[in-house]
Amino acid sequence: MSYDMHRYLTDPFQEIEELGGGLFKLNIGPQHPISGQGRFIVLTDGEIVYDIEVDIGYSHRGIEKILEYKNYIQAVVPLERMVMLDTSNILMGFVRAVEDLYGIEPPPRAKYIRTIINELNRISSHLYALGLFAESAGWNPAVFIWTTVDREPILDILEMITGARWSHSFFIPGGVRADLPRGVKERILDTMDYLERRLEVYEDAWIYNETFRMRTEGVGILPRDKALEWGAAGPSLRASGVKYDTRLNEPYSAYPELDFRIVTHTAGDSYARGWVRFEEIKVSIDLVRQAIENIPEGPVKKALPPRPVKEETLARAETARGEINFYIYTEGRDKPYRVKISPASFRNFFVIEQMPKIQEIKLADVPPLIYSFDPWFLDADR
Amino acid sequence: MDPQRLSSLLSERFGDKLQVVRVEPRRLYIKVDHSIAHDVARMLKEQGFVMPITMGGTDFPKKNVIEIFYGVWSPDHDFVVVMKFDIDRNEPRFKTFIDIWPGVHNYERETWELLGVDIEGHPRLKLLLLPDDWSFEEEGHPLRKDFDATKYRSPWGDER
Repeated sequence: MSYDMHRYLTDPFQEIEELGGGLFKLNIGPQHPISGQGRFIVLTDGEIVYDIEVDIGYSHRGIEKILEYKNYIQAVVPLERMVMLDTSNILMGFVRAVEDLYGIEPPPRAKYIRTIINELNRISSHLYALGLFAESAGWNPAVFIWTTVDREPILDILEMITGARWSHSFFIPGGVRADLPRGVKERILDTMDYLERRLEVYEDAWIYNETFRMRTEGVGILPRDKALEWGAAGPSLRASGVKYDTRLNEPYSAYPELDFRIVTHTAGDSYARGWVRFEEIKVSIDLVRQAIENIPEGPVKKALPPRPVKEETLARAETARGEINFYIYTEGRDKPYRVKISPASFRNFFVIEQMPKIQEIKLADVPPLIYSFDPWFLDADR
Repeated sequence: MDPQRLSSLLSERFGDKLQVVRVEPRRLYIKVDHSIAHDVARMLKEQGFVMPITMGGTDFPKKNVIEIFYGVWSPDHDFVVVMKFDIDRNEPRFKTFIDIWPGVHNYERETWELLGVDIEGHPRLKLLLLPDDWSFEEEGHPLRKDFDATKYRSPWGDER
């Protein structure tokens, strides 16, 4: 059965509209359906979902165009506005691209500091995502409050290191802005111990709970070949059995010197995606501990040479939502001629749109399906 | 297979219509003639490059071309191929790659609206990122170099 639902695209403020023939068009959004502004248009017949259309672009700020007017240091600030939860990982991709263009390597200590901040950011972002995922499956509001509270000590550490809880602007091409403050090591280790204890509570109360598994297992199964073909990114890709993580496959920062594993799952359903995120928090805790123990001494930044040595580059980095890549074309100047940002959520939204085409999805399963991908409208909109 | 090997395979098959721009440990940048772009794409897919990771275009008003690029990754070989080709800026159009890489669907939509490139055979060319009342005739395509972004400066003052 196929419907041309795009001719039904009418008033976004009419929540439910009857289309005749037993069909309903349901608007989820555009005000804050997840986090940010965007809309899911769901075409249903009673309980069965025939089509999901994702309407993004409500917060398109033209970051790609803005970057054409900024030099590489100024570009840091607008770029961070893509995902406020995960700013350092977003920035990491850009910083890698610029360092590749100029042909420099940051000092070793800067690499370790970057790793620590990236992993702390990843933990905080995953905790937020898991809270929302729990909420979507009817675990409202306990787990979301827990995860929000448990993000606070991490944000406090980030504030201690960078001076800001969210948008740190801490990475610059060539290193990081400042060295670690005194006493941060003990605080990080304490917080990691605390988090580990909290994760055990989550396991008992929620992630291995039978009710939660019944609600999310088998919902929205994404097969491996489709995940690759449609370009799923990050935990959504790994939950479908693809062993790929930019941190290991394209080593950057201190990751090649640290010991960690890629978390994968073969089921490819909503539960698997949530579970991969949960296990990745444990991996990140381990990475932070290793990095803070083995951090070398030395300078934390290096000046950029006057001109880039390369004309173009494609750099990849792993954000909490998956891979982000930056294609930068420069004419040998200190400003980019063209920046193409390819964020993870942009790819995952397309996968969400395709899900009803390969399986039957019930209307009640739509929220857990969407939240399990952890998409972020501002990330996709740029 | 590594990028070096693939580049020699490609040059062997397509001759001087394909130009290897640069070979790096995990990247291969190639520039192809517009006429063989789909053949190259099909060959890349046969070689295992199934996953599109980026797609877009760059506007070059001085050369009067728009350069389109596709980045694809292979789970078997674990490196990225960036395939680029030029299209005429006065008549910007090319045939869609959705039949080869379905994941480029939204990227092509985005290129259509932001760069003003007509993508033939695309099933859903409608506004994705731009506002619903955006007019191409009056306001143009934002990523073109002749688009004046300073028009859209904040009403709350000069923030450069």
